[in-house]
Amino acid sequence: MMRQGGLKRKSKTSSEIPSSSLADMAFLLLIFFMVSTTFRKEKPLDIEIPDAEATKKLDVPRKDVLHIWVNRTGEVWINDQLIPMPSVSNIVGGLGAENPTLKIVLRADSEVPYRYIDGVQQELREARSLYLTFYTSVEQRINRERR
Amino acid sequence: MALMRKKQRVSGEIPTASMADIAFLLLVFFLVTTVFDEERGLQIVLPEEQSEVDVPQKNVMHLIIMPNGQVRVKQGESTNERMVTAAEIADLWRLAYAANENLIAAVKTDLNAPHKYMIDVLDQLQLAGATRISLQPLEN
Repeated sequence: MMRQGGLKRKSKTSSEIPSSSLADMAFLLLIFFMVSTTFRKEKPLDIEIPDAEATKKLDVPRKDVLHIWVNRTGEVWINDQLIPMPSVSNIVGGLGAENPTLKIVLRADSEVPYRYIDGVQQELREARSLYLTFYTSVEQRINRERR
Repeated sequence: MALMRKKQRVSGEIPTASMADIAFLLLVFFLVTTVFDEERGLQIVLPEEQSEVDVPQKNVMHLIIMPNGQVRVKQGESTNERMVTAAEIADLWRLAYAANENLIAAVKTDLNAPHKYMIDVLDQLQLAGATRISLQPLEN
């Protein structure tokens, strides 16, 4: 009974949630997302994408997609390289042999004459890569009447 | 006078209590503004090489795209053509398809026509539910 006062010492645990490390956690998350973000390899060309209402999402893994860029003057770019039209079938055929499930996404400028688009299509047929998607963006004309 | 000469009590520390708010604000801002670059577009399956199939003319709807974006529509063997704009094609297709379920759309684009006019026509056809579409260059 002599030691009563010493044993029943008041507990000094703080009832507050420690908030001093909250900032560290938030910045850690921020930096994690910044570092883990990967940007696409290809540098976009100056291409104006045509609009289409029937645009559908393509549900394939990114590794199964090959982009073919066609700019306004009809130049064909694959993986950041300018490819002359007759070689497109060789390039696509080579990549298609490595990956049989390859899908082609054709990002062509809306003003490019159709002869180049037709040329690419013929090259793709030659390379036996038949799944083609014309890259379009969803139409954003507000004044267009809804169907 | 004594009241006015009160000692200033500005703290010398940087306030850290709001730091978490700032960091989360940044985090949420970047989370919300990130747009994922997804693959999207109009899908089509090209025909294999040397696989020309003969289709009876009555099952073909010819859509000839001119360099100015106008579309000449001709059905089967009939010689009468209609000049339409791309926006009318979905309804035209629905009407014609209701009459003939074996209908195939043959889109023939002038080699000098801009790509977007072909996309407009393809868009209308896909909106109208067309699945059998053939893309061809217009040969003179």
